[in-house]
Amino acid sequence: MASQRYENLYAKIETALREKPKRTQLYNAVKRARDSRRAAIDILPQGEAFRKEVREIKVRCTAKLDDLVDQFAERVEARGARVFLAEDGAAAIGYILKLAAEKNAKTVAKSKSLTSEEIEVNHPIEEAGLEVIETDLGELIIQKVHEKPFHLVFPAVHKTAVEVAEIFEKETGEGVPHDVDAIMKVVRQYLRPIFLNADIGMTGANVGVAESGAILIETNEGNARLVSSIPDVHICIMGREKVVETTGDAIMMMLAHPVSAVGQHTTTYVTWMGGRSPLGADGKTPRESHIIILDNGRSAMKEDPLFSDALNCIRCGACMNICPTYGVVGGHAFGHIYPGPIGIPWTSEVHGLDKAGDFAPLCISCGLCKEICPAEIDIPMMIAGVKDRDSEVNPHPRVNKMLMAAERAAKMGSLTAPLSNWLMDNAWVRWAMEKAMGIDRRRQLPKFSRKTLVKRFAKRGPLPVSNPVRKVAFFMDLFANYNDPDLGMAAIECLEARGCEVVIPPQKGCGYPYIGYGDLKKARKVARENVDFLAPYVNRGYEVVATEPTATYCLKISYPKLLDKSEDAVAIADHTFEFFEFLSLLKGDVAVGERNALSGRKFGFHIPCHQRPLGAGEHAMAFLHARGAEVALIETGTCCGMAGTFGLKAGPLGYELSQAVGEPLFEGFRDADVEAIVTESSVCALHLSEGTGHAVWHPLNLLRFLK
Amino acid sequence: MRAALIDVFVKKYASLSGIAHVVNGADAVAPIVVQVLGDVDCKRVALAELPDGLADAIQSACVDAGFEVLTPPFDNRALPHAIDAADVGVSWAAFAVAESGSLVEFALDDAVRLVSTLPRVHIGIFQASALLANLTDAAEPLRQFFEDHPHNATATFISGPSRTADIEMRLTLGVHGPEVAHAIVIA
Repeated sequence: MASQRYENLYAKIETALREKPKRTQLYNAVKRARDSRRAAIDILPQGEAFRKEVREIKVRCTAKLDDLVDQFAERVEARGARVFLAEDGAAAIGYILKLAAEKNAKTVAKSKSLTSEEIEVNHPIEEAGLEVIETDLGELIIQKVHEKPFHLVFPAVHKTAVEVAEIFEKETGEGVPHDVDAIMKVVRQYLRPIFLNADIGMTGANVGVAESGAILIETNEGNARLVSSIPDVHICIMGREKVVETTGDAIMMMLAHPVSAVGQHTTTYVTWMGGRSPLGADGKTPRESHIIILDNGRSAMKEDPLFSDALNCIRCGACMNICPTYGVVGGHAFGHIYPGPIGIPWTSEVHGLDKAGDFAPLCISCGLCKEICPAEIDIPMMIAGVKDRDSEVNPHPRVNKMLMAAERAAKMGSLTAPLSNWLMDNAWVRWAMEKAMGIDRRRQLPKFSRKTLVKRFAKRGPLPVSNPVRKVAFFMDLFANYNDPDLGMAAIECLEARGCEVVIPPQKGCGYPYIGYGDLKKARKVARENVDFLAPYVNRGYEVVATEPTATYCLKISYPKLLDKSEDAVAIADHTFEFFEFLSLLKGDVAVGERNALSGRKFGFHIPCHQRPLGAGEHAMAFLHARGAEVALIETGTCCGMAGTFGLKAGPLGYELSQAVGEPLFEGFRDADVEAIVTESSVCALHLSEGTGHAVWHPLNLLRFLK
Repeated sequence: MRAALIDVFVKKYASLSGIAHVVNGADAVAPIVVQVLGDVDCKRVALAELPDGLADAIQSACVDAGFEVLTPPFDNRALPHAIDAADVGVSWAAFAVAESGSLVEFALDDAVRLVSTLPRVHIGIFQASALLANLTDAAEPLRQFFEDHPHNATATFISGPSRTADIEMRLTLGVHGPEVAHAIVIA
């Protein structure tokens, strides 16, 4: 049934799911990196605002990149180094091979460079009879076993000390003790003669400075210092997007890379290399430096409205450290050469849409990469674009199509309730649903309500409020309308009790699945429809309030982007609130009878991913506190794994992966001494309840049901 | 003010597994260097370009203490092996950054870079008056350095010993560069 592409992807996911020790290593690595990043940012003078500074620099420099590259090249040459502008990988490789032949070079010592991997430079050099040695320890380990990096910053994180010791035993023909310190001594001895005798030293560059013609090379190990100083010939391969304007810009990049990648203030060694220096006195041999500035699709990328933002990537790898599915499957499944979330648009642009489409379905559109990116790149929307373009050649799988049209199914389920609910409880029906539709039979599905919120509200009619304190247009999304209209009514009554006039304007479901699975045409259509529905209300002074985090996210963040910041979309975004944020702005926020309603009770709180840019649940938690509850925020720093409807899907690319992502969070909730879980997301609730065995409540339902 | 900044540097440097010594005046540097050489079982030490008086003082103190001393100018034909044969490298930093625990080395000759990279122990020396608070403060002196040297010029931020966590995420020092790093701050 599934295409070859999906068969391959399933196989890779299944392999990753089976290899628990490898998964644990990866999980610990990315978790540590993002926790350290958090701590490092907290002590920066400007805190999170440093991302704004980084973005400002990158956007400014990308806008005038052609001029900056010209200026950079001119300054590099003025310093006596050579510049080669390479149109593509073949041109760069041709230049290197010619140079190597001229110098009669035998060995190339390399420090880590992703750009050199982009054009797969090692292979043709080896074909030409030279030996290429990776000197970054992690890269060296995987080079020896002919693998690709498992992680951008920790390429060999999946190898144990024992495995590494065996690799070097084989390499050196001598016994290598199985402990990390001893291995390190062996590696030092093994690489030292290579550093001392290499004919060519090859590096990348983390930054190029137009103002001075210097390149920056950052390494913790110091290998780039040696390969850029000892061999008489130095070659640097850098993408043209690495060029920034000033020394100050370069300093910010130098800070942003390690802070974002691993929470270090600076990389241990940062070499600012301008031209080529002599080595000692009376040097007879000419010393050269060749800076290859690679285009390879970047100029075209700049002209593409959807992908130009990807040029602002500084290659820190933070998106990989927060990506929930990357954190389970790693770079062998989640990547071609460029791995992780940002790897999807980059692969599409430099290696082809088809290659990107092979792993793009691993993106579950939680949006967290956008929240951690130091250049504030809207990675999720670019990935949606890749999925969208790819679908023209490789149509969306049936289950994705059905989930994108979830509103139709919800309508049907509601119309036919309680029969629909009875059917969904039937094992045979669920088996058939799994076979025919791809909905995992193990997943508990929410019950449908025959009386939708719209019907109930229409029957009751709007409550006339004279001199309302606020006028509210309630945005309900699918769950509160079709599944839990009581929740919707509770929210509405809560606002009315505090003097608000509430209406339910005509509306569609928020349509986020269209973004998640990549049908941007339909995503835009829904966005436009909802904006058209809501704009007249906002123009008459209504404020939009939503109870579902993803719906609020759409209204505030996705729609303006999808609709090119149209006036109406921006006005609606500015006047949209999360329910509890809005409540906190009203007088009489805590009703007298509610003050101690939750006293002596302790709950675990879960922040849905789409709520993170909206205030990360602070208002809902304050709501619980104000009613006497003790609230423990339980989080791993990434997604719970459900990701909207992703976790409903049968198989490895769905239920199974969502369980693997959720495991550490489930464990956190199980270990916490709480009586139940509170979250505002209807879908996270399903997942958490199954995964932990705890009851999961929306805060409003908690007040209604928990006695 | 200055003392507080030095304190920030010393703490940050220690957190990077570096060892900082704050001394009063240039005269106090050579004895510290000799002490470190003794502690790390050094036989041969390589000195990079140092300010005039300091170079002489350190060289004679090292010779007196019985260490073999390699000094610039280094003969190109003997490099890089001569510096590789040294156990300790001693070099000067043009300035330092407290926030990040970084010494910033200016080099017009790559031999200087080898002195601070190849030996297993590195000692970096700088004036407390050249200690900057934040990384962003480094932009101006760097810009000036590259403007003053329109041809070859290399500046390097060095923040503690060579480190890696590439095996099992376990921090280990000295995989390629020095495993021990000392900073001497002349107050």
